[in-house]
Amino acid sequence: MSSFQILKLEYSACVEALTDALRTEDETAFFAAVDHIVHMREPGMFKELRQLTGDLQQALERFSIESRLQDIAENEIPDARARLVHVINMTDEAAHRTLDLVEQSCPLAQRTAEEAAALIEAFEQLKSRAASGPSYDSVLQSVEGLAPLVKSVERFLPSARSNSDLIRRNLSDVLMAQGYQDLTGQIIKSVMKLVAELETALSSLASLSGDVVEHATMGESASKGVGPAVPGVNKGDLASGQTDVDALLSGLGM
Amino acid sequence: MSKDMKFLVVDDFSTMRRIVKNLLHDLGYPNVTEADDGKTALPMLQAGGFDFLISDWNMPGMSGLDLIKAVRSDAKLAKLPVLMLTAEAKREQIIEAAQAGVNGYVIKPFTAETLKEKLDKILGATAK
Repeated sequence: MSSFQILKLEYSACVEALTDALRTEDETAFFAAVDHIVHMREPGMFKELRQLTGDLQQALERFSIESRLQDIAENEIPDARARLVHVINMTDEAAHRTLDLVEQSCPLAQRTAEEAAALIEAFEQLKSRAASGPSYDSVLQSVEGLAPLVKSVERFLPSARSNSDLIRRNLSDVLMAQGYQDLTGQIIKSVMKLVAELETALSSLASLSGDVVEHATMGESASKGVGPAVPGVNKGDLASGQTDVDALLSGLGM
Repeated sequence: MSKDMKFLVVDDFSTMRRIVKNLLHDLGYPNVTEADDGKTALPMLQAGGFDFLISDWNMPGMSGLDLIKAVRSDAKLAKLPVLMLTAEAKREQIIEAAQAGVNGYVIKPFTAETLKEKLDKILGATAK
């Protein structure tokens, strides 16, 4: 069969439909037949057009993602970094403030305890003196028995009061120093929101490009140190606590 | 062991150094010096006079593990008692530290009791 005969075979039905439509003056059928012939003549063109429209749409989408990404990279990432630095500074400050107050309070408590212990000791001596002589009550009633003790108690009470006052004030300052948690929590949450947005933008970009994204594996830096274990994040064989560490080490003969 | 023992506490976070220093003080060891990473600590150790090293692992400059390896390869320091005090909790890391020659390994967060227990154990063993 010659190629023209093939064409004749393919088109004759359409041409017949066209002439039928002309004869019966059926406009709808006429245009349907014309469309059919055009489709037969240019089969590739429509596919190309569809492809082109799709590409254009993708390019537009990509453009909007990329400009958002650029904005994130240029403005919001440096901003987030500054916020996180602020978090470090705030936690550092609060920890040092707390340590200052604890270091200030411990000696005060210790001094009060030592002075109280000395008084207890003095009373004990008085009691043992009473055991080998006059009765405890009569020793307490005698001026020479009681006078030194009264003096010590008199010295002790104001210092105990001022030490306790200072410790109480320090403790309430320790309480106030914990206020950083609220602020740092809010900052960290806002940075987490940005990270989530970045993740979405990057993954839609990756799916648009359609490339197989090879997951870059983090270089094993165990010898350099990887930081604290985070529940639900760290993978690998982790010791669950000090007991686990001790068991592991004793297994190694330590 | 004498209470005059000189400790070197190596950690890049000053708060952690202060906490350890306070704990040592409470345990009766008032003689504590600080360093913020292995690079700073090593020359201090080599200059001599320290009886005990407590080191973090993850630090900029020189890591605690590298510091301990350097300490163990220095003939003068080879026998220095070393306690690793770190948040690093991978089994392979603990084994690596043991092989590098630590005398004890405490993971953060830790308690005052754990620190005391490990110190006593190390000092008891090295005194023998």
